[in-house]
Order: sequence, then structure tokens, then C-alpha cells
Amino acid sequence: MATLQLQDVRSGYGYGPDILNGVSLEVETGKAYCIIGPNGAGKSTLLKTVAGLLKPRTGQVLFDETPIGGMRPDLVLAAGVCYVPQDRSLFPEMSVRENLVMGAFLETDKTVVAERMDRVFEMFPVLEDRLNQRAGTMSGGEQQMLALGRALMIEPRLLMIDEPSLGLAPQIADQIFDIIRRLAELDMTLLLVEQNVIRGLECTDWAFLLDLGELRIEAPSNEILDDPRIRELYLGRQKETTWQRGTGVGEES
Amino acid sequence: MTQVEKRESADIPVSLSPQESAPKRSRYLVAGVVTLVLALLPLARPLIGQPFNYVMQMGIVGLMWITMSSSWNLIGGFTGYISLGHNVFFGIGGYATGLFLLYFGWSPFLTAPVAGLIAVAFGFLFGLITLRTRGPSFIISTIALLLMTGLIFDNWDLVGGSNGLSLPLPPFAIEVLKIPFYYAMLVIAIGSVYLGYRVAHSKFGLALRAIAQDETKAEVAGIDTRRMKIAAFSISAFFVGAAGAIWGYSLSYLRPTVFFIIGVAAQMVLMVIIGGRGTVAGPAVGAILLVSLNEISVSQFGSSEINIVITGVILLIVLLFFPLGVVGTLREKGRLPSFLDWD
Amino acid sequence: MAAGNRGRRGIVTHLLQVVILGLLLGGVYALMASGLTLMFGVMRIVNLAHGVFIIAACFVAFFLFQGPGWDPFVSIAVTMPLFFLIGVGVYTALFPRIEGSARFTEMTVLLTFALALIAEGLLSYFFTGTVRSTDPSYKTDAILLGDFFIPTAQLLSSITSLVLLIGLWAFLYFTRTGYAVRATMQNRTAAQIVGVNVRRVSTISFGIGMALAGASGSLISFLFPFFPARHWQWIAILLALIVLGGLGSLKGAVVGALLLAVAAGIVSDQFGPTWSPMTFFGALFLILLIRPQGLFGHQARVG
Repeated sequence: MATLQLQDVRSGYGYGPDILNGVSLEVETGKAYCIIGPNGAGKSTLLKTVAGLLKPRTGQVLFDETPIGGMRPDLVLAAGVCYVPQDRSLFPEMSVRENLVMGAFLETDKTVVAERMDRVFEMFPVLEDRLNQRAGTMSGGEQQMLALGRALMIEPRLLMIDEPSLGLAPQIADQIFDIIRRLAELDMTLLLVEQNVIRGLECTDWAFLLDLGELRIEAPSNEILDDPRIRELYLGRQKETTWQRGTGVGEES
Repeated sequence: MTQVEKRESADIPVSLSPQESAPKRSRYLVAGVVTLVLALLPLARPLIGQPFNYVMQMGIVGLMWITMSSSWNLIGGFTGYISLGHNVFFGIGGYATGLFLLYFGWSPFLTAPVAGLIAVAFGFLFGLITLRTRGPSFIISTIALLLMTGLIFDNWDLVGGSNGLSLPLPPFAIEVLKIPFYYAMLVIAIGSVYLGYRVAHSKFGLALRAIAQDETKAEVAGIDTRRMKIAAFSISAFFVGAAGAIWGYSLSYLRPTVFFIIGVAAQMVLMVIIGGRGTVAGPAVGAILLVSLNEISVSQFGSSEINIVITGVILLIVLLFFPLGVVGTLREKGRLPSFLDWD
Repeated sequence: MAAGNRGRRGIVTHLLQVVILGLLLGGVYALMASGLTLMFGVMRIVNLAHGVFIIAACFVAFFLFQGPGWDPFVSIAVTMPLFFLIGVGVYTALFPRIEGSARFTEMTVLLTFALALIAEGLLSYFFTGTVRSTDPSYKTDAILLGDFFIPTAQLLSSITSLVLLIGLWAFLYFTRTGYAVRATMQNRTAAQIVGVNVRRVSTISFGIGMALAGASGSLISFLFPFFPARHWQWIAILLALIVLGGLGSLKGAVVGALLLAVAAGIVSDQFGPTWSPMTFFGALFLILLIRPQGLFGHQARVG
């Protein structure tokens, strides 16, 4: 059963041109997907369109068969779609605890909120350590963990994460990817955008390759990883040595 | 976060459309004819007869507002920085030449350009302080400037305080008294509109538009935004100051309530927005429309309170429904007559 | 020697007196400014009409005093809810239309400018430009505290402002909606993606800002003489104040208000009351020179 469906969606910013040029795809429950592609391909735009921060100009966005295209972001969240933006979008003056509580804003039962916070602390012990620290003063990695933790406070049906490893040192990025893999193993429906292609594909089941606003390839992640032609065409001019699995060193040259 | 962006200024696409030639050439003809008619109008005094002084006064007022709005457009339209206190320069010009006249006997017709330069100097100084920030702080500082200047002039003996100063009448016969003022304003108005035209078609103007569109991107692109903003603001003061010089002299008295009230600033803003912010012809169109409207409204309603309400209502309607103004909206619908298309 | 001591004490006492008066007045300024800065903080709205709505509330308090003889403090029970509703109405009618604007804050300036003109014109038309004020009995009373003379009107207003500001603080820090408001102020996108209905929050915030204006108007009605065109001076002062404090910062509005009210009091005392507004304008230009983001503002706020 498809949790999320995009049908020929076009969208863009303001008066500007279409960034997404008619994208159709399906995301199935319980699977983890990674969107890859060059800069400007429309990856973030896609997530923003689903999240309600952008209105689709044509086409439909369906979540559990219900149209959510153009809905207000808070209603999209209420439907079960949670979005973690590239810049993490935390509340800088609020503490870790307050940020997490805000994550569960739509949940009115305090005991449920407390339980979920405990679970988040299990997954991200460092957050418990920094419970009263202001979010704006935390390091990049900690902020990303807080952003993910906050997203989990609402127990989303679909979790969309935009570039989780952006700006993070390799070791910290590793930690983040481990967490993402754990979430995938827990059968959370995940939709990831990742510039770090290898690591992104390693922790997901399926990949969508977006280029110039169009869906070029959709295939199981390991197929993409193993296919030299696709590597050649889309994954850059990296030398062989950098494509070692597991090191996460996939910088564009 | 924005879902759909609405345009609220008639930003001209950087690449001007290639359809020059015949339709656009006719605009020079129209411009030429209009200028000629305006220049020769006073000579038609015998034909006009009794209402001549009224016609002249309307001309003076209309040309003055065309000047003010075209100049305001440089900072408020092209650069996108709203100045709600621009009439400070109007007053500085008026008082400067008035004082020159009273103390040295110099005719404002000669010292008007000097008044313009003095206004520019003040504009430059003010811009240095306030154009370090973006958006709201600048606008707020212009309001503060206006009120501050009004307060100072209201309490300064040299300029007569709230009673102001009386100026000697110009040395012309009563019947032709208004004519020199008319010509002075005509020259100033032509200068102001022409300045707008030249700026619009220059690299400077391009930089200003870039700042209006997205100041961060403009900075990243290497534009010295602060210098450009200060330049635009300073230049925009010149003709406003000169107009103030002539206007004060035409009234034969100077008083803070003539120059430093918010109503004058409101009119400037309104005219440009109605006409089309960021266009060359827009401010003049707005000025003519509003002066006519004011004439009608004053003769119908008389009281100034209703005028204020009407000004506000028109501004509101235009902002909500026709943010591009006359010129901008017509251009968008592809119906802009060529004599208005100078961008 | 005794005479010399008394002279020195006299100067200090006098200065302290001026400072005390300034602080008392500062409370009311803080009330006025907080509504204004709240609107900017939550919605990036610069409300040029804030002053004219304060004056409108003055008129409400005035007519309630003249007619049924209501004390201005009591009139707050009317002006606050009334202006809350007006705020909600004005916001809903105007601002969602321009939500998607590229230069949103600028548009709000122009829009509220138009609103201010309309409101001023209507007030002038219906009530003329006569200078008015309410005259409750305590207007000329004062309490003597040691060497200091504390005007009752100012004292009561200051206490009222304090109570209302504490109420605002409690709302923002202890209620769910208040949390949502603060979240929206800190990061609008983040608020949306955690499920805050920012449209509703914005409407409520605008209403609250106007309610604070309403309460201020009731107080101003006896603290200062008022007439419709006076609002320009008020809004210029309040805007200068919130720029000083930092646009969007409530802490800044309060601190700025107290500081400037004291400074204005000193200026008024030394140079005459005409010049006291200059303090605010001077402070504005000073802060723009040395710290454009204001005392508690953030660098280069994304407008």
C-alpha cells in the first residue's frame, strides 16, 4: 500500500520557474527511500511541497489516498507527515526540553508526551544530558539529533529528512546515519534527501534519482550502488578510492 | 515559506523586451508635444482669460508633485526603500532659500539649485547613519527624521518657530506673477523625470533594482549596496529641495506646517504607488491623477479630514488590489500605451 | 557647611525625582511598545497604525468617563476586549491577502500607513481636533514618600502596566498558545512543521497587540492630552523605542522604554518638555549608528 503518492507534481518558488517538472512517485509504508541527484534537481523542493511549505502548481500529492497538496503545514503534520528541514529549524531560544515538547505540540496528553520524550532520550542520550541547554548554542551534530528527536515526538507515519548529514563532520554524520538505519529497521517510513550518496543509499531500501526536476531512475538502493554506469553518469567524477563503502567519504570534487 | 509571491512593484525584467522601433518612437513625439504645450501655456494668457491664475497655480502644483513623486521613486521605487519623511528635503530647500532671500537678498530662482545641493548633503548624512540596516529600521528612521525636523523648526527662532517667516513678494507684476514660478517648476519637473529616466537606464539603476529584488543576493553578487543606497537617497533629495525652494517663495511665507507634516509624505508615497512604483512614467501619472482627485474632492467635500480618509482608502485599495499601479498593471496586461512606456 | 550639603542633596534629590517619574512613565511606554514589538516579532508586521488605535482607545475612555462617568482604569475592561476584537478583524481582513509578498514587511508598513490615515481622518471628522483628556480625581494627586513626590496617576498607571505586562509574560510562558506564539517568533517555519497553526497564532497575536494598545489608550487618556493628529508623534516614539530595544524583542521593549522614559524625563527637566520627544529620536539614530540591531535584537533579521 502506498503511503505517499505524487502524481505529476510541478512546483517552484514564488514567480520563478518550475523546479519540479512533473514528478510522479510512490512511497510504500515501512520502507526507507533516498532521493539523490545533482544540486538544483529539486530534491528539497519535493520535500517542501509534500510538507505544505510549497503549493504544487499542478498535480496531486496524496497521503493514504487523501490529497494533501497545498494543505497548511500544520495540517500536513496532523495527517502524519513530519518534515525535518535542511537547516533543522529549531527554536533557538528554547531549551532542548522545550524543543522536544514543541515537537509534540499536537499531542495533548502529557503522559504520552513524557513517554515519548523518554524514548527519544533512549535513542539520543546526549539530548538528556543537555536537557536545559538552549538549542541555539548546541553543536551541529547535537542540533541534528534534536531535530530528529523532535520529529519523533509526534510519532510520524512518514518522516522526511532533508540532508541529515549537511555540515557535519564525518564521525558525527556516521552517528546520524546509524540512527537513520535504526529507524529504517524499525519499519518507519522514511523519505530522505542526501547529498552523501553512498551513506544515504546504504541505509535505505529504494532510491529516487532526481535531475532537473524529473524522476530519472527509481531502483533498489543497492542496485544503484553497484551500477558503474549510473555512478559514472550521476555520481560525479570521483576517483575509485573515494567510493569505498562504509567510509562515508563521498565528497563531490 | 511563501506559497505564492505577489508582485508589488512594477519591476522591469532586466532584459528589456526587444520590441523597440515604431510603437516606442511615437512616445518621443508625445513627450515632445506635451513639453511644448506646457512650455507655451503661459503665452496663451489672453486666450485663457480670467481663469489664467488658477490654471497657472494648477500647473505649479501639478509640476511640483510630479517632481516630488519622481524623485521619491528613486529611493522608494527603484531601490525599494520606503522613505516616509522625504518632505524633510522639501522643507530644507524652502527654508534655505527663504533665509538666503531674507538675509542676502538672493532670489530663490537662482538659489534653488543650491537648495537642492543642501538637501543632498543632508540626505547623504542621514543615509550614512540609517542605511546601514535594511527594511523596517530605515523606514522608521525616516519618520523619526520628519518629526524631529518639524519639532526643531517649530522651536527655532532663526526660522521663526511655528509662526514661520514671511518672504518678500517677487518683483513681478501681479498679472504675470505666477508665470516665473510655473516655468521654474516646469524646469525642475523635467529635470526630475529625466533623472528618473536616466537612472532607470543605467548600470546604477540596475544595481538599485537588484537591491530591491533581493539585497542579500545583490551583496553576494558584489554590489556595494550601502554606497548605492546612500547615492540613491542623496540624489533623490535634489529636486525635492529645489521644488521646496520655489514652493516656499510662491507662498511668500514659510511655516513648518507647510513642509513638515506627514500628509506631504503620504501624498508622495501614494502618487508613486498609484502610478506604478519603479517605473519612469508611473510617478508622473500618479501625481496628475492625485492632484486632479484632490481638486475635485476639495471642491466637493472641502474639509481636510475626509481628504485624509480618502487618501488612506485609495492607498489601501491600490496596495491590496493593484499593487503594480497604473503603469505596472497596464504593462502586465499588455495594454500600456507607448507614451507611458519609458522603462 | 550645612547649607552646602543641603545644596548637593537638593540636586541629587531632584535628579532622583526626575528618574522616579521617568520610571513610572516608562511602564506605560513599555505597555504601548510591547504590543508593537509583539506584532513584529510574530508576524514581521510594522504597525504604523498602532498610535492612532491608542488614540482611538483614548476617545473610548474619554466618552466612558464623560457619559457614564467610568474611571479610566475601569474602562480598560472595555478597551482591551474591544480592541482585541478590532485587531482580529483588521488582521483577518487585510494581512492574509499580502501573506505571500516578496517584500512583506514593507507592504505592512504601507498598509498600516493607509490604515492610520483612514483612522485619523475618521477620528478627526467625528470628534474634531480639539485637545482632550479625561480628568479623574487622582489626576492631580500625589503621594509624598520621604523627599519624593509621586503622582498618583502615574503610579497607578505604572502598576497597571506592570500587571498587564506580567499577564502577557504569563500567557507567553505558561499557556499552550503562548508557547505557540513564542515558537512562531523564534522560527516561523519550525512552528509550522511542529503543528502550529501560524495563521491563528498571528491573528491572536495581532489581537493581543491591539488589546495592549487599547489598555494603553485608557491610561494615556489622563496622562497626556490627546487629539487625532497626535498619533504620529506617538508612533514615531514607539517605533524608535522598539528599534532601540531590538525589533521583536519584548525584553528590549521594556528595557528600552524604561531607559528612554528616564532619559526623556531628564531632557524635559533640563531643556523643557517640548524637547522630550527628541530623546527618543536621538536614541534611535545613536543605536542605528553603534548597534543597528538594537539592544536585544539579532543580527540581520531576515525580513
